[in-house]
Amino acid sequence: MSTMPAHETRPSSEEGDLLDMGDPLAEGDLLDMDTPLAEGDLLDVDDPYEDEDFPPLLRVSDLAVGFSGGKRSTHPLTPLQGVNLSVEEGSAVALVGESGSGKSLTASAVMGMLPAGAEVLRGSVSFEGEEILGASEKHMRELRGSRLAIMFQNPRASLNPVLTVGGQIAEVIRVHEDVKRKESRERAVDLLEQMGIPNPGRRAKDYVHQYSGGMAQRAALAMALSCRPRLLIADEPTTGLDATLQQQVLELVVEQVSERQASLLLITHDIGIVGRTCEQMAVMYAGRVMESGPVEEVLGDPANPYTAELIKSYATVRHGRMNSIPGVVPTLRGPLVECAFADRCPKADEECREGVPALRELGGQRGSDERKVACVKA
Amino acid sequence: MALLAYVARRLAYLLVALFGVTFITFLVTRRLPGNPAALIVGVLADQSTIDAVTERLGLNEPFWSQYYKYMGQLFSGDLGESWFTSNPVTTDIGNRWPATVELASYALALAVLWAVSLGVISALRRRSLSNRLADALSGLGVSVPEFWLGLILLLAFFGTWKIAPAPLGRTLGEIPPDVTGFYTIDALIAGDWGAFRSAAAQLILPTVTLAIVIGAPLLRITRGFMRETMETGHIRFARALGIPRRSIVLRHAIPNVLLPVSTMGAMMYGYLLGGTVLVEVVFAWPGIGSYAVKAIEHSDFAPVQGVVLLSALSYLIVYLTMDILHFVVDPRTRTHS
Ligand SMILES: Nc1ncnc2c1ncn2[C@@H]1O[C@H](COP(=O)(O)OP(=O)(O)OP(=O)(O)O)[C@@H](O)[C@H]1O
Ligand code: SF4
Ligand SMILES: [Mg+2]
Repeated sequence: MSTMPAHETRPSSEEGDLLDMGDPLAEGDLLDMDTPLAEGDLLDVDDPYEDEDFPPLLRVSDLAVGFSGGKRSTHPLTPLQGVNLSVEEGSAVALVGESGSGKSLTASAVMGMLPAGAEVLRGSVSFEGEEILGASEKHMRELRGSRLAIMFQNPRASLNPVLTVGGQIAEVIRVHEDVKRKESRERAVDLLEQMGIPNPGRRAKDYVHQYSGGMAQRAALAMALSCRPRLLIADEPTTGLDATLQQQVLELVVEQVSERQASLLLITHDIGIVGRTCEQMAVMYAGRVMESGPVEEVLGDPANPYTAELIKSYATVRHGRMNSIPGVVPTLRGPLVECAFADRCPKADEECREGVPALRELGGQRGSDERKVACVKA
Repeated sequence: MALLAYVARRLAYLLVALFGVTFITFLVTRRLPGNPAALIVGVLADQSTIDAVTERLGLNEPFWSQYYKYMGQLFSGDLGESWFTSNPVTTDIGNRWPATVELASYALALAVLWAVSLGVISALRRRSLSNRLADALSGLGVSVPEFWLGLILLLAFFGTWKIAPAPLGRTLGEIPPDVTGFYTIDALIAGDWGAFRSAAAQLILPTVTLAIVIGAPLLRITRGFMRETMETGHIRFARALGIPRRSIVLRHAIPNVLLPVSTMGAMMYGYLLGGTVLVEVVFAWPGIGSYAVKAIEHSDFAPVQGVVLLSALSYLIVYLTMDILHFVVDPRTRTHS
C-alpha cells in the first residue's frame, strides 16, 4: 500500500473581517477551512478497510496529526501516526491506552476540533459514509450535536456557570431543530428526567453549581444526546467522579446510547470497565492502534505485547501496587520508523525496528476476522 | 433574606472603612508642614497675633480633642470652612463636584466602550491587527503618565492643529441654567445647542486622556479573561455540540467575562470620582482634584479632609453598588444551595 504524506499548511491569514471574529481556540484548527486537504490525498491512504461494501458509521483511516509548534520549532510533534479505527452502527467501542497515546486527539480530529497549532498530515475520517476530515466549519457545526456528539470528563466544567442547565440543553435543540423556545425547554426537562435527575422541572432552572458532579454529568449527557446523535464519543466521562458514581454514570451512558440505537466510542483508562460496557475495543499506543477486535478476544488472548502489558499493569494496580509498564510513552517527533513500543516491549528484536508494523488482520486460529493487530510477532 | 444580610454586612464594612479614612486624613493633614495660622495672618504679623489665631482655630488643643470636635462637626454634615476661599467646604465641593463627576462619567463610558470591545475582539483573534492595536494602546495607557498624555494631546490638537479649544475649564461659551450641574446635560435640557457644543468641546481632550489611561488596564483584564473563558470546558462543550459562534461569544463567553471586568470598571470609576488631580490641573478643570491641590498648597486642612473623605466615600459606594449588583446577577451567589 502506498502512503503519501500530504502536509497541509494552514492559510496564514488570521486577519480580516473583525465581525467574523476568527477562532481563538484554534488558529490552526479546522475552522473556516474550506479545502484543507486536496481530494486526492484523502483517497490515497493506508486503508485496511478498503474492500468493505458497507462502510461503518465511523471510520478513521491512517489519521496522522502533527503540531508545527511555531516558526522557531525545529522538532514538530506528531502525536497521531496513522490511526485506524472503526465504529459500527449500533455498537459500543472502547478506546484504551496509556496517557498521552492520542485518544483525545483522535476524538478532537473526528469532531473537527483539533487544538490550536494542530494540523492534519494525512488520513481520512468518514462518518455515515461521508468524508468529514476537512469539511467546512459550517458543515461540521451542523453535524456536531446533531448526528455526532461528544462529552468530556469534568462535567461541572462542561456546563456554563451563568446559564441554566435546562437553557443550555434547550439551546442545543433549537440550534439543530426548528422548534419553538417553549418546546425546546420541555424537551430539556424530559431529557433530564430520562437521565434520572429527580425533580427535573425545577432542576432545569438550576445552575451547574447547584448540581453535584454525578448530576452534572447526567445533565451533560442529556445535552449531548438531546438531538439523538448517531454516535456519542465519551472521553473519560467518569474520570474525577466518586468511585460509586462512576459505575452508575457509566451504566447510564451505555444504556441511554443503546436505547437510542446509537453507537458509542468510549475513551477510557480503565480496562476493568471495558468488558462490562463495550463489545469492541481498540488499544492505542504512541499515536497508533496496536490491536483491535471483540473485547473478550482482545482481553482474553491479547495478540500484541503492548495489550498484554497494559492488562498486566492494570491487574497489579488493582491489587494496590503501582506497577505500570516500565518506561514512558515516547514523545513523537516526526514520522515513526519502527514499532513505537520496541523500547519497552519484552518481545522486541531487530525485526521490530525494520519498519512500523501495519494494523493487519490477525487471521489464523486465534480469532474472528474482526481482530486486527499491529505487531510483527503476532 | 440573603441579599439584605449581604447588604447590611457590606454597609457595616463601608462605615468602618470611612471611619478609618477620617482618622488617617485627619492625622496626615495635621502633620503637613506649615502653620496655617501663620499663613492666614500673613508674613508680617507678629507672634502674638499668630498665637491668637492659633488659639481661635483650636490648633493648640491636644490632637484627640481636635479630632473629637472634627468628628462632631462631621456628623452634623459640616466639613468645616476653607481658610483660603473662606467658603464652607461643602459649598466649594458642591460647586466643583459636578465638574469632576461629568468628566469621570464620560471618561469611564468611553474607556469601557473602546477597552471592552477591543479587549473582546483581540482575545478572539490572536495574531491580528486588533491585537497589535490593543497592545499599543494598552502599553501607551499603562506606561505614559496621564498628565503627560494630556499635554501631548493638547500640544497636538490645540497647539499644532488648532482644532481643540483652549484648555480653560468647562466651557468657553454660555453656562447653561443649572439643573444637574453637568453642563452638557443642562445644555440639552435647556435645548441650547451652542452651549452644548462648547461644553462638549472642552470635555473631549480630558475625556480621551483619561479614557486611554483607565482603559488600558480594563483592556488587559478584558482580553485576559476573554481568552481564559474561550479556553474553558463549557465553551469547548458548547462548540462540540454545534452552538454557533455568535452565541458562543455573546451568550456563553461574554457574560462570564463581564463579572470581573465590571468590578475593574467600578474601581476605575471610583478612582476617577476622587478627582483626577493632574488632568484637572493640565486642563484647568475646576473639579475637586484641582481644589484639593490648591488647598494643600495653602495648608488648608478642611478642604483636603473634605475631598479625601468624598473620594473615599464615592469609591466605596461605587464598589458597594457593583458588589450588590453582582450578588443579584451572578447565579452562583444569587442561588445559594
Ligand atoms: N494542544 C496540544 N499541543 C501540543 N501537543 C498536544 C496538544 N494536545 C495533545 N498533544 C500531544 O498529543 C499527545 C496525545 O494527547 P491526547 O490528549 O490525545 O492523549 P490521551 O490519550 O487522551 O491521554 P489521556 O489519557 O491523558 O487523556 C500528547 O502526548 C501531546 O504530546
Ligand atoms: S512489533 Fe515488536 S516491539 Fe512492537 S509490539 Fe510487536 S513485538 Fe513488541
Ligand atoms: Mg485524553
